[in-house]
Amino acid sequence: MRTEPNIPDADGIYEAIIAANEGLSDAQSEAFLLRFALLLANQIGDQQVLLEAIKTAREMVGGNTAV
Amino acid sequence: MGGAAQASGGGYQLPVFPYRRPAELDGERKRYRVVVVGGGLSGLTAACDLASRGVPVVLLDEDDTVGVRGASSRGIVYAQKTLEIFDRLGIYPRIAEKGVTWSVGRVLADDDMLYRFDAARGSLSKQPPFINLQQFYIEWFLVDRLAELPAAELRWRNRVTGIELRADHVALAVETPEGSYALEADWVIDASGLQSLIRSTLGAEMAAELGEDRWCISDVRFEKELPAERWTWAKAAFNDGRAVWQHPMADGVWRLDYQMGPHADPRMIADPATVRDRLRRHLGECEVEIVWVGPYGYRTQLMKHFRQDRVFFIGDVAHVMNPFGARGGNSGVQDAENIAWKLAAVLSDAAPEALLDSYDEERRAAGAHNIHVTTRTIRFLAPRSPFEHRFRDAVLDLARRYDFARALVNTGRLSVPFDYAASRLTTNGGAAMPNLPVTLPDGTHGALSDLLCGPGAPFLVLCFPGAAPPDLSAGSARAYACGEPIGPLPVIRGEALRQIGKPGEVLVIRPDQHLAARLLRPEGAALAAALNKALGKEIPR
Repeated sequence: MRTEPNIPDADGIYEAIIAANEGLSDAQSEAFLLRFALLLANQIGDQQVLLEAIKTAREMVGGNTAV
Repeated sequence: MGGAAQASGGGYQLPVFPYRRPAELDGERKRYRVVVVGGGLSGLTAACDLASRGVPVVLLDEDDTVGVRGASSRGIVYAQKTLEIFDRLGIYPRIAEKGVTWSVGRVLADDDMLYRFDAARGSLSKQPPFINLQQFYIEWFLVDRLAELPAAELRWRNRVTGIELRADHVALAVETPEGSYALEADWVIDASGLQSLIRSTLGAEMAAELGEDRWCISDVRFEKELPAERWTWAKAAFNDGRAVWQHPMADGVWRLDYQMGPHADPRMIADPATVRDRLRRHLGECEVEIVWVGPYGYRTQLMKHFRQDRVFFIGDVAHVMNPFGARGGNSGVQDAENIAWKLAAVLSDAAPEALLDSYDEERRAAGAHNIHVTTRTIRFLAPRSPFEHRFRDAVLDLARRYDFARALVNTGRLSVPFDYAASRLTTNGGAAMPNLPVTLPDGTHGALSDLLCGPGAPFLVLCFPGAAPPDLSAGSARAYACGEPIGPLPVIRGEALRQIGKPGEVLVIRPDQHLAARLLRPEGAALAAALNKALGKEIPR
């Protein structure tokens, strides 16, 4: 899993995600993020990288996972 | 049922097989080579495979007909590998004639078709990807075939009531309408199903889990034209947003499975008025005849060991899984084939007894794999939390628009043969070889399975152009040259052969048509070593 900076315009992406969620309820934002995550998972297309990203994200919000 | 020549149920005419007084009731006492307990799909397949290899086998069944629970269709999807096995056993033509051959599946969500697949694409086998047929027909064909095999003896209404493991044999207590007797066997195959008495008597360890998911299984006829395809709805408005399966079967009967709500009342699931209402919502207004209907609760079971001493556990005794992808029945048939060739090899002194250990190793791994695969499906179809539900819906939403998300829609992964790459019998291989159509050395059209017929448990050695003719003076392997002559070897020809082997390669194919070894221009004892390994000669005693 790559952890060094890789997004060409980080501020621009942050801004775009915030903008895309403007006016959405929490439920809608969750729906957005789920679709966004699945679209990105397909772009990455590397099983090991995805599994590592899943594990890392889970660890950051608490606890270990069985992945 | 008893007495009549035929039993009827749901508009089917099922056979009734005659009980015959076993010789043991009149004082006969002898040791049998192999006894199979249970005349269901996997037990009958095991008996048929053994008998076709010339191994004497006695099959005991407590009933005197095929099928259980009335005329329920039970296992209905027979996958390519199973059809290839049935081809070798000689019942494939009857299955093809009676059943519904299909390869196209559609996956839907409400009114949207998410995707369509055609499993015939890329298929190299002589057999089609799938044939749908009510399970009792398959069992019936196997019984008919067994009657033609002199090595097989079927004993109807012979119920096993006890088992004892002795030093060099197994003793079974058997009950018949005319009294009880003892039966001694060198080897026992327990194919008596979910509630095996043998398994519980032997105290074999098993992990079991009852699922909460409830389904309504409906076998129905109706006056409406539908395509001979597999349709699965991940969710359907006509079933309150839950999953639905739609499959054609023989005799114009369709199998419609409806996922019920969690903790649905089993009595209400099959209530006639409720069932009719559900069918009307699914099919619209049309004449409907209910052939069989019943509730079905899924469960998962896996024995810790598929072998205990001289007893082998096959089919539902050994493993029970959710029915998604038809992995239960199809894997039971493959269990049967796996133990049958190994017993045949050991009983003909072609292999050491240690080969039999590999049955547990290979088929338990297959069972665990199938349970894992079907558990993933149930998790997709029956999300366990509101979040899982929303995540599933995100997948369905994306799948309506993009190809990539279709791969995530899981309404069952259809049965494929397990790969024995990790098996101690495998040198370099493990996958099942498709039953390639080939022109046989005598010029007739056949398939690879024709080269693997008994007696015994012959291996196949396929030599591709550029490989040296192998020395097979010892052993029961049959060598063929593929495409062009190699030394004195008989030649088989076929376009598809080049799909499984490259120039210079030598393939060692096991009696169950799995690849034991792929060797490139093997020298010295490499081929003999691979054959020995595949026969369990390297497994420590």
